[in-house]
Amino acid sequence: MKKELVNQLIYGFMRIGLLPLLLVIGFAGIMYAHPLNGQEVLNRKINLVADQKEIRLVLSEIGKLADIKFVYSAQRIPARQKVSVTAQNRRLGDILDVIFQPLNILYYVSGNQIVLTRKGDTFSMSFLLKDVPPVPDVTMELAPKPISGKVLNEAGEPLAGVSILVRGTSRGTSTNEKGEFSINAETGETLEFSMVGYKVHLVKVGDNNAIEVQLVAETLNMNEVIIVGYGTQRRSSLTGAIASVNNKTITALPVPSVEQALQGRVAGLTVTNNGEPGMSPIVRIRGVSSINFASDPLYVIDGFPTSNLMHFDSRDIESVEVLKDASAAAIYGSRATNGVILITTKKGKRGGRLQVNLDSYVGTQKAWNTIDLLNTQQYLQYERALNGSAGINPPPRLEPANFNMPIYDGASVTYANNNTDWQDAYFKSGLLTQTNLSVGGGNDISRFYSSAGYFKQDGIAQGVYYERGNFRINSEHKISKLFSFGENLFVSYSKNRYDNTGGSNRTRLVNVIRQVPYIPVYDPTTEGGFRDAENSVDGADPTNPVMDALLLGNAHRKTLKLLGTAYAEVAFTPALKFRSTFGVDHVHLFQHDFKPIYNSKGRSESQAKIDDVRTTMTTVLFTEQLSFDKTFGDHHLAVTAVYEQQGTRAYGEQMVGFQSSNNFETMFGATNVSAFSTSSENLLISYVGRVNYEFAGKYLLSAAIRRDGLSVWAPGNKFANFPSASVGWRIDQESFMSNSQKISELKIRAGWGETGLNGIGIFGKLPNSQLANDYPWQAVVSQNGAIYPFNNTMPSGGNASFYNAISNPNLEWEKTRQLNIGLDLGLLNNRITLSADYYRRKTDNLMLNVPTPGSFGLNNGGVLANVGAMENNGLDIQLAYNKRAGEFQWDLTGLVSFINNKVISLNTPNATIDQGGDQDFGGGAHMTRTTAGQPIQSFYGYIVDGIFQTQDEVDNSPFQSDQTAPGDLKFRDISGPDGKPDGQITPDDRAFLGNYLPDFSYSLNFNATYKNFDASVFFQGVQGNDIFNATRIISEGMARLFGSSTEVLKAWTPTNTNTDVPRAFAGDPNTNVRPSTRWIEKGSYLRLKNITIGYTIPEASLQSLTGGAVKTFRVYVGSQNLFTITDYKGWDPEIGSKNTTLTNGIDYGQYPAARSFLVGLQVGF
Amino acid sequence: MKRNRIYTFIIGMVLLVVVTMVACERQLDKTNPSYPTLDTYFQNADELLKGTNAIYSIFHAAQLVAREWFFVHDLRSDDMAAGGGQLELPRRQMLEGNTTPDNTVMNDMWKGLYTVIHRANTVIYFSSRVTDNTTLRDRCVAEAKFFRGWAYFELVSLWGPVPLYLEPVTTAGQFQSRVAEDVLYAQAIKDLTEAAAALPPTYPTADRGRATRGAAYAMLGRVHMQNGDYAAAKTALEEVKKLGYSLTANYEDNFREETEFNDESVFETVFFETAPNQFNWGYTGDDPSQPQGTARNQEYSPIAWRNLIPSNKYLEEFEKTSQGFPKTDPRYKMSVYETGDTYNNGASVLTDADQNGNSSTVHGVTKKVSWRKYSLIYKHGKGGDRAGGGINHRIIRYAEVLLMLAECENELNNPGAAINYLNEVRDRPGVEMPHYPLTQFPVNSKAEITRAIMHEKRVELGGEEIRNRDILRWRKKGYFTTEPISYFRPNRDALLPISQQEIDNNPELAAGGIGKQNNGY
Repeated sequence: MKKELVNQLIYGFMRIGLLPLLLVIGFAGIMYAHPLNGQEVLNRKINLVADQKEIRLVLSEIGKLADIKFVYSAQRIPARQKVSVTAQNRRLGDILDVIFQPLNILYYVSGNQIVLTRKGDTFSMSFLLKDVPPVPDVTMELAPKPISGKVLNEAGEPLAGVSILVRGTSRGTSTNEKGEFSINAETGETLEFSMVGYKVHLVKVGDNNAIEVQLVAETLNMNEVIIVGYGTQRRSSLTGAIASVNNKTITALPVPSVEQALQGRVAGLTVTNNGEPGMSPIVRIRGVSSINFASDPLYVIDGFPTSNLMHFDSRDIESVEVLKDASAAAIYGSRATNGVILITTKKGKRGGRLQVNLDSYVGTQKAWNTIDLLNTQQYLQYERALNGSAGINPPPRLEPANFNMPIYDGASVTYANNNTDWQDAYFKSGLLTQTNLSVGGGNDISRFYSSAGYFKQDGIAQGVYYERGNFRINSEHKISKLFSFGENLFVSYSKNRYDNTGGSNRTRLVNVIRQVPYIPVYDPTTEGGFRDAENSVDGADPTNPVMDALLLGNAHRKTLKLLGTAYAEVAFTPALKFRSTFGVDHVHLFQHDFKPIYNSKGRSESQAKIDDVRTTMTTVLFTEQLSFDKTFGDHHLAVTAVYEQQGTRAYGEQMVGFQSSNNFETMFGATNVSAFSTSSENLLISYVGRVNYEFAGKYLLSAAIRRDGLSVWAPGNKFANFPSASVGWRIDQESFMSNSQKISELKIRAGWGETGLNGIGIFGKLPNSQLANDYPWQAVVSQNGAIYPFNNTMPSGGNASFYNAISNPNLEWEKTRQLNIGLDLGLLNNRITLSADYYRRKTDNLMLNVPTPGSFGLNNGGVLANVGAMENNGLDIQLAYNKRAGEFQWDLTGLVSFINNKVISLNTPNATIDQGGDQDFGGGAHMTRTTAGQPIQSFYGYIVDGIFQTQDEVDNSPFQSDQTAPGDLKFRDISGPDGKPDGQITPDDRAFLGNYLPDFSYSLNFNATYKNFDASVFFQGVQGNDIFNATRIISEGMARLFGSSTEVLKAWTPTNTNTDVPRAFAGDPNTNVRPSTRWIEKGSYLRLKNITIGYTIPEASLQSLTGGAVKTFRVYVGSQNLFTITDYKGWDPEIGSKNTTLTNGIDYGQYPAARSFLVGLQVGF
Repeated sequence: MKRNRIYTFIIGMVLLVVVTMVACERQLDKTNPSYPTLDTYFQNADELLKGTNAIYSIFHAAQLVAREWFFVHDLRSDDMAAGGGQLELPRRQMLEGNTTPDNTVMNDMWKGLYTVIHRANTVIYFSSRVTDNTTLRDRCVAEAKFFRGWAYFELVSLWGPVPLYLEPVTTAGQFQSRVAEDVLYAQAIKDLTEAAAALPPTYPTADRGRATRGAAYAMLGRVHMQNGDYAAAKTALEEVKKLGYSLTANYEDNFREETEFNDESVFETVFFETAPNQFNWGYTGDDPSQPQGTARNQEYSPIAWRNLIPSNKYLEEFEKTSQGFPKTDPRYKMSVYETGDTYNNGASVLTDADQNGNSSTVHGVTKKVSWRKYSLIYKHGKGGDRAGGGINHRIIRYAEVLLMLAECENELNNPGAAINYLNEVRDRPGVEMPHYPLTQFPVNSKAEITRAIMHEKRVELGGEEIRNRDILRWRKKGYFTTEPISYFRPNRDALLPISQQEIDNNPELAAGGIGKQNNGY
């Protein structure tokens, strides 16, 4: 029956069209079940034939069939008694009943073990953890000293069935129902008290013959298995700083990407919104380690290092592990400097039945904040203030004769009475929806998980959206005792209508501010239907942002991603395994940008422009891994050796052409077509070795080395070694801690490691290429990279070649050394947990684009060189409280991360790297400076000391400019050419004004369930950072006549002197717009990131309502960014970066984070 | 049995892995499959020619003639005034004498000029590899020297002592220090002399726009003159006279698209309008898919930004009957547009409302006046700012050669010859102004002739990026009775500040004994 259902589902999927071939590989049939919890274990069906066989052999056989272990004392259980059983496809529980009932043996399931006890037994022997129990020689030898006592739990209640063993001997016993025991032991011997679910407790036998022991429950997560690079580890054995985030947390928020789901979930991991739908947020683990390059972590999905997480469905995730410190991450060597995020997808449960889940939500989202912009009347007032003061006539449009004209022929509205609210026209509410349907299941031989998902996020502004459809199929098969096989396959297709002004200084939001209020959005008399101001008539030339979004922003990115891995594993012995993995990551991008013919009066285009970009990238991964994992008495040893190679081939092309009609969006018949294509290739070869050693479960040691060879560097620099080591001490396992009632877990860890910056994909495109440069040390000639139309004739393609780069064969990895010291503490049976990590990260060899002087003639070209060093010190703390009993259960988790960044050195002692300059934003002077001794990209500019109130004050203050007048900003004279104030305001008077890095970032997550209701509340915030609000330069800078915010009406005048807005004067002769403290704002915010309330229909009601067809049913409502507490004056305080480096925290008019409301459904079948 | 199979398997796998590893490490050596490198390029005459073309292409970048070059020259002359409040900050700074070392307009031009030098050095340096077509090779080298000479002349006349590079930069650390002005002049003279000797007087039609012998001699004349060597200047300029140039029949032909490469044009930058209103804002001028026009129209044209308009002083310089002159100079109407003028091939009339920004006051009359030279509206109607227009920019025209000769002859005390040259310019058909002497401009002494030259040059060449260098030269000689630049501070404003970017990144800048920065900055 079930098999038929599986097959039906398979064929159902096939009909949908999900790569049938791979499905055949994925499903091999389901024949056996596997225990996971008590009932599941006992409900499984097995075949067994035993004719007069010893019980121990029968149990061994069952153990093998079911992959479970029997735990019993050979003394109490008649292991050698012979029994006969014949069972055809019968429940394991039934079989066990048949065997044990006659013998008065009871059994219960504990994890992966079935524990046997004898009815009415008061004594049992120590644990024997082998499925073939060696019958120990347990002759009760001379008992030197009888010891008796009692074992209690934390609540002081007696504990029955606790095993007591004299260390190093086979003497043992267990407690009775009253928790009492008696055993013979010599003084000086150690008694070991153990019981499943409790921490092992040690007592040294002294003079006292009566012992009372209180066992401390072991928290479940201590035995949780954590994915580490190239393997797994028990949480209790970890020595590095690794944070694990489970599926429930990842899927709690309606966000398209894993990165966004991780915001506020891991101490030390910061995620910052960076724009419209389809834009990846900025993810940083423990700060910024690189100056010139984006400090993105390495993402590893099911063992495959990849990127493009935007296209990945977070609902498929089983768990995410964040490797924060170098000792954990260094196993990824040259790519691990920015931390590693390991993503493990679901594999299906070996439950013997299918689990079908539907997870769906739909919601709406909107911008949560607006700023006050000028209306038409106010604009007129502002224009007179600005131009009038400088004796400049109003633009012709504002003359009454023109201003009282209809806004277009036939319109009843005139410019004078037209009032366009550009924010209202540009912002809108948008749909947000996601649906994921998954089917999973499996048994002892095979298991699988497959899913199909759809996500759509409309913009909260016109003209942008992101949409994705995806499929997944994961499966695992045990072919024989020796061989197993598995595969993962993910396919996603996404379509993104993006903001094609991205990276430009005149974003649509800038134009929302700059657009003038008397100009209408739409004009039916123009070609294209939109309207713009005209520079010669209106004296201003903002672009209509709605037109820009809807008409000119007709730009799409379509991405097809295929990520698949397959592995074969050979288990030579239970301890020695070899695994060979092969994977492919294929990404195909097609970008189509169509700019139609239009005429908005202010702007026009007489030819339609088609701009197509196509790139394909195919990454192939081979991993050959040999691992050994064995326990010898108190020693546990795990050794891993890996050979790996990962190579990418990429091809990229671009075609630009023009059509004389808007009807054709292809190159067919296009004119002035230009095209280029390039190909590129890189290869990474790695050798990895790692040793984990554990003594007595207390002392932990781990060491690893990775040797990476990368094609990207020049010959001679290709290989580098990345070592790491860490130690851990589980203090709670020590005998002196065993009596502690309060401390349930205590571990200290220390680790050191060296990592590198991934050299792949970080180097900017060469001219006429769509691909990242894989050959950064080679200077290339731009063959035909320019054109000159001799005789007024345009050659087809370029006719001019040049080079503007310098090669640097010495280029190599940036290297980061990191020290991490951590503490894990659990109190009151881990109801309270604390995890704290202190780290120091120092990056040497920083690759800087050492600027060349203009006189080199390389036209801004710099030379990449390994110069400079930077340090990040920080502290990550996670504190949680869990209440896991009673009707009202809740937990509260707080995270806080402190980080301190400092640049240690650059290429020369006084070198500075200035960034962020922009003509429109303050006249072109740079806004950030990076220099030794300061945090990276500190905001840089002048200090404002108020406004000059009188000419006298101007005359008696340091000289600023000939035109400085009352009403202008007074800048502070702090220095001069000699380092002393010189009575003049010059660039020497610029100072460090603040930094985008917060003092700390924090989050608070509260989850609760009461009866069938559940709720979660998630706050996230940053404290102590500054924002360079460059948007205000546009909205209230008054450098040129444009639409502005109402702040400009507060400008200084001789009669309005109590203001902090300087005078309005056309041309801004005193350069009041220059980068200064005027634009620096506090960026702290606290945001209710998420609030969700859910209701689960009780199982009984569901059963009667649906006749068992629906197993679980939960509905929920939620809201994201419901409120934000901040003093920031812009649209949103979460500010990303214009071009990922050195402009973080400058608000150039960034697409704001949205507020959303949604309703969702989770149904299990 | 089973164990043996396992061992065989292990040995097999290990062998496979080792073989793969050895094979793969070799694969780490990769070269860029899409781009040539310096080792493989500039090997033959064709590649050298393309290297030469790349000098021309930077010449028409926004850093140079397409935008900042004309701004830098115009903002430092008194031919220009601000058109209104929209003149961007760094431009306003230059116009008002507040130029700072981080001024982007100036710095872009600095970078553009040194890019010309770098690309010229590349051609000159790698020419030694080329053997397949020595004629073409030598011409390329001569063209490169023409541009290098021009670029050093621009640099020395604007910034004074600057770093001297005579070989292309191929490794980091090849910093050069500032050298004295006379060294730079000597280099420019040497380059232009060698270029003049090797360049052809004319090219086949397909190569129109390349530097000619006449261009090199005319440029050499400018350099000698600015350097104070009038005798050498005269010799060079007389070489130009031998090459058959003449004044165009219509003065306006010098600024129009249909009459490019005319007999008066000694050297011009070629622009091409690929798409209306589209300009290559990438500044470097690279990328063949980008528009290849000039930004001049959107900056100066009456129906556009009018960022700079003709100054009142310039407008009042013209001879007008209303001011007591015997004839109104027709060049006035051919140089500027006034409200009421027709445009668009006579189909449209210019109104006040068409022209954004400030009005001018000409002899007490207030009206809106804008530049007509190089403005495309002579044949276009309203709509679009025509950024990316295709009118070639004449860098040197024969009228300037004649006026330079007049100045040389006057300085060499040949008044007759000087006056003749002045009158030759005034004899242009359609201009036909009465000969000197005039009542207002007598020519009885060297000083009076100098005044006539200053007057004639201004009305003939106003707004053509000549005036600012004339001011520098004539100021030095004390020819001005009133300083033409209102903000001028001696020991400072004759030179621009050295780019802050250069100071920050060239550790050897002052190594030659000349300070990093010019006086007063």
